[in-house]
Amino acid sequence: MGHPRERTGLTRQQLLRRGAGAALAVGGAGVLAGCENTTEPIGASAAGPGGEAGKLVVAKPVGPGGLPLPRPDSAVTWAITPENQPIADGRPVERGPLSIYNYADYLDPATLKKFQKEFGASVKVATYNSADEAIAKLASGQVSFDLIMGLTGSNMVDLIARKLLKPLNHSYLPNLEKNIWPELADPFYDRGSRYTVPYVVWMDGIGWRNDKLKEDVAGMDVPWDIFWHAQAYRGKVGILDDRRDALSMPMQRDALRTGARPDLNTEDADLISKAESDLAELSGICNPKVTITDYQTLPEGKTVLHHSWSGDVLGAAFYYLPKGVKADVLSFWGPEQNGVVQNDFFCVGRTSKRQVLAHEFVNFMLDEKNAYDNFVNFTGYTPPQKGIDAEALLSQDLIPKSLEQTIVRPDQFAANQELLQLSVTGQRLWDDAWSKFKAG
Amino acid sequence: MGSRWTWRLVALPGVVWLSVFFLLAFYVVLAVAFGNQDTLSQPVPHWNPLDWNVGYVLDTLKNFWHGGPFLKVSLRTVEFVAIAVALSLLIGYPVAYFAARHAGRWKGAILLALIVPLWINYLMRMLAWINLLAPDGIGSDVLHGLGIEKLFLTLGLLDEPGGWLNGQPTTVILALVYGYIPFFILPLFVAIDRIDRRHIEAARDLGASARSAFFRVTLPLSLPGILAGCVLIALPMFGDYYTADLVSASTQTNMIGNQIDELMRQGSEKVTGAALTLFLSLFLLGLMFYYLRTTRRAGTTAQTT
Repeated sequence: MGHPRERTGLTRQQLLRRGAGAALAVGGAGVLAGCENTTEPIGASAAGPGGEAGKLVVAKPVGPGGLPLPRPDSAVTWAITPENQPIADGRPVERGPLSIYNYADYLDPATLKKFQKEFGASVKVATYNSADEAIAKLASGQVSFDLIMGLTGSNMVDLIARKLLKPLNHSYLPNLEKNIWPELADPFYDRGSRYTVPYVVWMDGIGWRNDKLKEDVAGMDVPWDIFWHAQAYRGKVGILDDRRDALSMPMQRDALRTGARPDLNTEDADLISKAESDLAELSGICNPKVTITDYQTLPEGKTVLHHSWSGDVLGAAFYYLPKGVKADVLSFWGPEQNGVVQNDFFCVGRTSKRQVLAHEFVNFMLDEKNAYDNFVNFTGYTPPQKGIDAEALLSQDLIPKSLEQTIVRPDQFAANQELLQLSVTGQRLWDDAWSKFKAG
Repeated sequence: MGSRWTWRLVALPGVVWLSVFFLLAFYVVLAVAFGNQDTLSQPVPHWNPLDWNVGYVLDTLKNFWHGGPFLKVSLRTVEFVAIAVALSLLIGYPVAYFAARHAGRWKGAILLALIVPLWINYLMRMLAWINLLAPDGIGSDVLHGLGIEKLFLTLGLLDEPGGWLNGQPTTVILALVYGYIPFFILPLFVAIDRIDRRHIEAARDLGASARSAFFRVTLPLSLPGILAGCVLIALPMFGDYYTADLVSASTQTNMIGNQIDELMRQGSEKVTGAALTLFLSLFLLGLMFYYLRTTRRAGTTAQTT
């Protein structure tokens, strides 16, 4: 659920006594005044069907403001309202600068330079650290951008509810239909790609050092089991530091054992609680690190087995290999089905003054050559392009056979699941379970 | 009269600074903790204390009360910090004592050696340790060569040879000690250095052995320095989260700071994060009051005995 680029930012005496006294006094007053005592979010009771009539409909998860939560079996077409229309066809391209809001290090500078040269427009890129931060800033109106990239389908309801997006005009985006996988050209979270266009895809899997692990992970009946049999690699095992990705991993393991199709967006308290206790079991078995630094620790050998995002293992092979370590010591396995796949997208800011230029930029990035350069020379995350697949990379010797599975295939993308936004109560179940797990 | 006003004027910017960045910030935490959240899980602060909603704070309190995860990490944090402070005292006191009393012309050099590491950012120093303590790192080799690794393995403080970074509480505690010990030694050095030597000479003249002069004169007189050092390092250690993150990242070594970071960074429980921050602040304020009371008492005891 968390975006791979969402990295943790690591980056008086007398007065203190008086201050504390004041604070305590005020606190006491608050309690005495008999204030509210609730943890029900504001407006939550308004969402969803209620009362007797509510029982007559099949309950479906409902998001903020009562908007439907998109699901693969319940796709959503977002309305285009009269006051928020897409730009007309055939308008001239505006002059720059084009302002882009993106994760740091998530766009190839050389590709960006090429765009600037081609369109004679300068580009300004501002960065955010998490989707929450980006949405909060956009919604506050403090910032305004022509183009936002890196947000995902689980942000869709927020983006629509807060009126942050401008609808797209596909006449400026011929590369969308030409190059993008059909599976993603018309996604369930935004039917008709009315507001968004996909950028890259990735999946959750297992990254490991085939020179340090004796097991053939990919050959196991249930490869996820390796984490529960990793006593020999104690302290050198990692789990993704992301609540949804991590907790859904034991769910995928159970599903692979029984052959059932799991719901990785479940709001069933028992299932979530079981996932937490399964994950907590690992502490005794291999004391895993809970991190997203596998792109560094795997090539360095500080970890030898990691729950990983496909793009990070590929990035590890592309850019983070220490001297003397060959790419073919890294392996990656990703599930064929019932696992986690994710994608993020481009979208145009509601307040954009350069919409044509923003459309041109998206179309430029959807060009096969540009998408390929951006992927291979910089991000390590696969664009969902019809013309880019593992075979192409293997034949050019860009990746070893052991990393073939880091390249997500369209059929695989369709057979796996995305981690999506939950209802407020559902989210809290996952959050509480995660809090419990992280407490050790 | 004139000079009094000058001093007030000079102190004003500092007071304003502290008010804005402590009191105001603290009030924001209060308003968020006693506020609510919207359906997008963003905090909605309640600025007016009369509107305060105690739901989230009560929920957090219940978590502690019923022995939930918050209690678990809090107890672990207290344990880590207590051990780290005790170790700092054991290691730091002799250094401060030696520097103040016996270093002679080396005094300056020792102080410099204490301060120089602080020129390098805390994170950089921790990152350096990661490379030193890696299985093939120089630090691991040295610890192995000196037999320290074997000692730790025998005592059960280390899981396996070379496993310093395998999520060990020992490593986290030692990293905390390493990171904060200069802040412990410096005030202690000043306290010991300021002790009037004539007190000790008088004790010796009256027949006290060197040992009892130390325990009955020097140690009690340096108590304010010890307490100041303990407070100076314990407060930031309680809120520390990056040390455990960098040298371990295991759930078995997570501290209360990690829990707050987790609540604030992702997910739908930012208000709970604020409530937890509030409890941590109250706990630290309690410690601070205890410190102030003890130092005042220590000051009077030292004067009367």
